Amino acid sequence: MEVFLQSLISGLLIGGLYAIIGIGMTLIMGVLKIINLAHGQILMVAMYVTWVLWKFFGIDPYLSIFITIPFIFVFAEGLSKYLLHPLIEKESILPENQVLMTVGIGMVLVELARSIFTSNYKSIHTSYTDKAWHVAGISLHVPLVIAFVIAIFLTIGLYFLLRKTDLGRSIRATAQDKVAATLMGISSAKITILTYGLGSALDAAAGSLLLPVYYLYPDVGPLFTVKAFVITILGGLGSTVGAIAGGLVLGVAETFGATYISSGYRDAVGLVIFLIVLVFFPGGLKRLTKV
Amino acid sequence: MKLTKLLISLLVIAGLAVGLNGCGKSESGPIKIGVLLPLTGPQANFGEMEKNSFELAKEEINAKGGINGRPVEFVYEDDTGKPDVGRAGAEKLIVQDKVPMLAGGYSSSVTFAAAAVAQQHRIPFLVNTGSVDKITEPEAFDLTTNDGDKFYIYRLNPPVSEYASGLEGLLKEVVKPASAFIIHENSAFGTKGAKSFAKTCDKLGIKVLGNESYSSGTVDFKPLLMNARKTKPDMVYMISYVMDAALLMKQSRELGFTTPKLFVGAGAGFTMPAFKENAGEATEGVISATLWHQTLPIKGAKEYYDKYVKKYGGDGPDYHGAEAYSAAYVIADVLTRCNGEYTPETIKKALDETNMMTVFGPVKFTSYGKKIHQNKMDTYVVQWINGELKLIWPKNLANAKFMYPIDWKTVWGL
Repeated sequence: MEVFLQSLISGLLIGGLYAIIGIGMTLIMGVLKIINLAHGQILMVAMYVTWVLWKFFGIDPYLSIFITIPFIFVFAEGLSKYLLHPLIEKESILPENQVLMTVGIGMVLVELARSIFTSNYKSIHTSYTDKAWHVAGISLHVPLVIAFVIAIFLTIGLYFLLRKTDLGRSIRATAQDKVAATLMGISSAKITILTYGLGSALDAAAGSLLLPVYYLYPDVGPLFTVKAFVITILGGLGSTVGAIAGGLVLGVAETFGATYISSGYRDAVGLVIFLIVLVFFPGGLKRLTKV
Repeated sequence: MKLTKLLISLLVIAGLAVGLNGCGKSESGPIKIGVLLPLTGPQANFGEMEKNSFELAKEEINAKGGINGRPVEFVYEDDTGKPDVGRAGAEKLIVQDKVPMLAGGYSSSVTFAAAAVAQQHRIPFLVNTGSVDKITEPEAFDLTTNDGDKFYIYRLNPPVSEYASGLEGLLKEVVKPASAFIIHENSAFGTKGAKSFAKTCDKLGIKVLGNESYSSGTVDFKPLLMNARKTKPDMVYMISYVMDAALLMKQSRELGFTTPKLFVGAGAGFTMPAFKENAGEATEGVISATLWHQTLPIKGAKEYYDKYVKKYGGDGPDYHGAEAYSAAYVIADVLTRCNGEYTPETIKKALDETNMMTVFGPVKFTSYGKKIHQNKMDTYVVQWINGELKLIWPKNLANAKFMYPIDWKTVWGL
């Protein structure tokens, strides 16, 4: 029972982090209609920003989200405006070309990181990074718990942004029907660029929250691109609520797989879910939530 | 008029091409040796360390006059840690760069794939890190142990099954554990290492309570560690690269996994400065098998370490760097004995006759068991004591007292 509870809680905590990575991906997917294959690499950039802020300015990784989020937001908007958007404008170019562009952006980011920081592994140490609370025989890793709580706040914030503000309505409208949205007076170009920034900003938050738990090197990205992709499919393309559920499901499934089958198959569990959803449940959890 | 101009320029270009080509083949140009390493990808950290060491050695060799007056040059190819890329890289070095010899080889699976290419093209390949046993077993290449003259693979480092040979003594004479739990990466290196350690356990009468794998880059090792904790092993044996190693120890501490007498690493990640940097407090008391340490009484070991730190800064190299540095010196020695003729066959012959001392220890390619062209060497045991890596076994070389028994509660400050 103890092992079961510990697995469940570990899985949920990790799942919370996966969820915000997934939400970022799904937002971009919903509006731009492309898979952002640079998602993990943007996460990596955010992790390096967090690391630099901690190492050279002594800023706590959790406080640094106030810097990484706006920084990555502006950075990703630049990428979107000058690299991705020009491709969207040209009707003759297939949408695949934007996906290829994100691959290119990802590669450039990795090599830039390597030339600046070398391939050495980096990690963060604070007074709480090695701490754990023990409740009834279950250990709760302090930084993971903090990250989970912050992830919840970020998700609630995003929910209000999407549901209650004009900007959010515009984003949802563009995601649902670009042409109709444009006819209603929404600048879909602006929204598209902005959404890429917003999705990446969430990704950036995940990066800052992940760093105290994990570690960092230039090639850390692809691991999380794959996870984000699985979550997006699991949750249903473009569905925010689906991505939250998808993140949690993936986290728990991975942990249970690791506990009861074998840790060696942890990644396989995610991919098997991915296949099952594609074959038997196309459309993902979105079909249940309808959001 | 135009035609003449065209003809003249063509002639000039052709002349240049011939001239350049001539340079490459002339007796004074550099001797090119191909080196296959992971320079990008998750293992780039090790690849960089080895490349730096190759370069350091190259500068020293060339400063001393090179090979009979000709400088040696290493042509690097990035294998990105993937066997298919490594294969293509080896192919490129042999066919396009026309190197008479290959070196490097980091990960086991990449090295094995590249070895097949070298064997097929009959180009000597001096492996310095790839450690899965079959690399120097002719059986794996459809040859027998009598086919030494047809087998082009040579290996400087011990195979993974011998990584723990030094550890055996320590376990047998001091710790005497009754049971062990093995945790390993699900790669060739990890799986084969786990298998051979399980065999060692059988030999020493240690009961193996579990043998679990994980995939490199795992964020959360707790399920695995909980399964291990349930079985109450006397020792935990881990075969992991550096960051997985750091997370394994960190999370063992978080879980309060204090029952084992020993946490043992099988080399690779557990001896690296980055392990300590990332695992923090959880490093203390961990022991590891290792192939090399800068404080070993081998001539030049400490000097190499200091030179590396001076040139590249950072935390300094571990055994991977020493392997690469020594491989470069073996190559220089081999080439010097080629009598000015640098073909795969002369190099192979010179490799067979190698008998020299390097900062990594003595190098001589011998045959034993199923292996041929394998350098046999001792391995050591180190322990993290007060934040420093100390040599604790074999006893006669130790520079610190083995910290044992270990009370993990106090060591980890729980």
